[in-house]
Amino acid sequence: MSSTYTLDQLLPGQSGRVTRVGGEGALRRRLMDMGLVAGVDVMLLKRAPLGDPLEYKLRGYHLSLRKSEAQTIQVDLQ
Amino acid sequence: MAAQTLTIALAGNPNVGKSTLFNALTGSRQHVGNWPGKTVEKKEGFFQLGGWNTQVVDLPGTYSLAAFSVEERIARDYVIQEHPDVVVAVVDASNLERNLYLVTQFIELEMPLILVLNMSDMAHNRGIRIDPKQLSVALGGTPVVETVGSRGTGLEALKATLERVIKQGQSAPAVQLDYGEELEAELSKLEAEIASVGALAEQGKPRWLALKLLENDAEVVAAVRKMGCSSLLDAASEMIDRITESSGEDPETLITSARYSFVARTVSGAVTRPETFMRTRSDRVDSIVTHKIWGLPIFLAMMWLVFQLTANVSAPYLDWTDSLINGPLARGIQALLMLFGLHGTWVESLVIDGIVAGVGGVLVFVPVLLFLYTAIAVLEDSGYMARAAFVMDRLMRSIGLNGKSFLPLLIGFGCTVPAVYATRTLEHENDRKLTAFIATFMSCGARLPVYAIFGAAFFGAAAGNLVFSLYILGILIALATGIVAKRTIYRNAPPQPFVLELPPYRMPTPRNLVTHVWERTSGFVRKAATVILSCSIAIWLLMAIPTHAGVGEFNAVAPEDSLFGTVSQVIAPVFAPAGFGNWQSAGSLLTGFLAKEVIIGSMSQIYVGGSEAIASEDENLPTLGEEISGIVTSFAQATVLTAQEFINIIPRTINLIPVFSVPEAQFLPATEEEEDTGPLSQALMNSFTPLAAVAFNVFVLLYVPCMAATTAMRHEFGTRMMAYQLAYTIVIAWVAAVLVYQIGSLLGIGTA
Repeated sequence: MSSTYTLDQLLPGQSGRVTRVGGEGALRRRLMDMGLVAGVDVMLLKRAPLGDPLEYKLRGYHLSLRKSEAQTIQVDLQ
Repeated sequence: MAAQTLTIALAGNPNVGKSTLFNALTGSRQHVGNWPGKTVEKKEGFFQLGGWNTQVVDLPGTYSLAAFSVEERIARDYVIQEHPDVVVAVVDASNLERNLYLVTQFIELEMPLILVLNMSDMAHNRGIRIDPKQLSVALGGTPVVETVGSRGTGLEALKATLERVIKQGQSAPAVQLDYGEELEAELSKLEAEIASVGALAEQGKPRWLALKLLENDAEVVAAVRKMGCSSLLDAASEMIDRITESSGEDPETLITSARYSFVARTVSGAVTRPETFMRTRSDRVDSIVTHKIWGLPIFLAMMWLVFQLTANVSAPYLDWTDSLINGPLARGIQALLMLFGLHGTWVESLVIDGIVAGVGGVLVFVPVLLFLYTAIAVLEDSGYMARAAFVMDRLMRSIGLNGKSFLPLLIGFGCTVPAVYATRTLEHENDRKLTAFIATFMSCGARLPVYAIFGAAFFGAAAGNLVFSLYILGILIALATGIVAKRTIYRNAPPQPFVLELPPYRMPTPRNLVTHVWERTSGFVRKAATVILSCSIAIWLLMAIPTHAGVGEFNAVAPEDSLFGTVSQVIAPVFAPAGFGNWQSAGSLLTGFLAKEVIIGSMSQIYVGGSEAIASEDENLPTLGEEISGIVTSFAQATVLTAQEFINIIPRTINLIPVFSVPEAQFLPATEEEEDTGPLSQALMNSFTPLAAVAFNVFVLLYVPCMAATTAMRHEFGTRMMAYQLAYTIVIAWVAAVLVYQIGSLLGIGTA
């Protein structure tokens, strides 16, 4: 059973599989260029000391996104 | 035919060791500049490959070749328009998947390609095994070379491969990405149409152009429109609609996914990874450095350390350089001039008082920059800089900047010059510009002597309050400028995404550090030699030319009778609403452009009279041997002092904790002026009311940064940006000074 969340709703250590990248224009393209496309598994590693941005692990590397950016990405929990 | 020249383009993601490879290939034969019209660094170099003179162009580090960022556009346009003979794609072997995504786009461009698996040692340590042969096959026969850039391993293999590829007549990889049945069908239709338009051949290969049209790539669409092929655009947009409707995704998304699927297939065939999840050393470091509680204190401690390094630890070397230029160097030049019979003439005055003092005054910043660049290089190469941005982003975002802006702003309290150069660490051009722009309002060390003299003269024991208020005012103006800029000139700029890679922590290698530091410092020195030279001569001329008959001769005229005095008198009334409309203030402010602490020197010269001699005139001149041993001894002393300063950071830091106090940075020794300020204080009290003194200091804080900082600004951002800054700072300074004086007068504060 899986349900749809956005990437910012993951808990540290939790993974999700990307189903859809929202947003538009340059930001959306940048997210996809960094490997955030449908089907990829992403794990939330931690939040910054002030709660935002967030640090993720995907495709074997670490990527930092702001909460607002992570909200545009839908994931299925695993 | 003359010796043939080959061109090789180095491409790759940021942080993959491209620069190291570039340096290893080209050695010292390189040129560092900017890409035309951009603040993005361009590096070119040459080396000998077989019988060819080979040019290497280091493309900006990018993750993609989309047309969205400046760096991506530069890299892409270069490859399409300049047709390099080979593209060497450098990838991080320990992070192959995301790195190969960029490579797929070079395959799409049908460029002759060589793949360099850099940092193969790190991949090996992490248990990642890559089969270069399999990888090469999957990439359509693209030659694959393994290197360890930091140790120079694999360099000869790369050269041999390059030579072989050139001799065989380089060809593009024999592989095409598969974008799926539906997209491929539309793609081939569009491709045929493009191929029939001959004029489009210059813009790229037909398949690539078709792909870009389906991606709705702004740059390619614009180029096609310019050629008048609107039917092509119509066809493409129809296809986009059709594909989006039937598949539920737009072609841009489908194409990006297809690239990543290609990469995933390639990697799964050629790479084996350890089964178990390995917690690397980098992960352990990171869990402390960006820790929920320790993250911020660690960040502040790092920034404080960098600030101390640039502001205090470098100071002894700065003094040493200063005394070297104004002592032995000035004396040497004087002796040389004497040989030519020019002693006591205006030529001597021009060279010593104008050129040596002016250019020297800027060259003394070299030690500061060396320290700054070393610190920055360590922060960047180790991977900490990205974490600093991660930790600070939340706070800096509120003024329209991102986490990396903090460091330049902090350095600004020491000196504006390194602060401007520190903005290089920011990724986006707008962020770089805005950060440098507001960094000038961070009160630098050279402004402190001015506050100190006025504070002591007018407020005695309460002088600290004046100094503290001025620092705060500078910060407030900087914040306000940032917020206003975000709401006005950057209002329509798309929000800068904070999509930032956090690279693994690495030990910086000495070789890389030296290269970084040298590249950046030498750039500054070259600028100092040209722009500042002309400024210094101009100011010297102003001081030397008498304006009316009978007041003196060329180079022998009192300040008030020189062109300088006249200009000051003309400017002075402008400052009347701020309470200091006399020519003496205006004149001192003019000279303050050379360096702000010069204001005090000028004031004591004008008010008290009698200039301090720069070089000893009639004393026994030291011999060459004595000069050299003097230079060496003082260098040794500077080294000892620097070591002391370095150790001093700890007590200084501890002192901070019980009471907050303003950083005590001092770039130039203010001691000489402080010793005999008695008469100056008296003179100041006679010509300024306390309120006017405050207004004057506010003006000193905010008005144009010194010549060196202005030059740095022009060096980094161009003449137009520099002009904006000059205009803005003058207006802000004037308005603030007038407000202080007028409001103060209304309230009747400090008018007597």
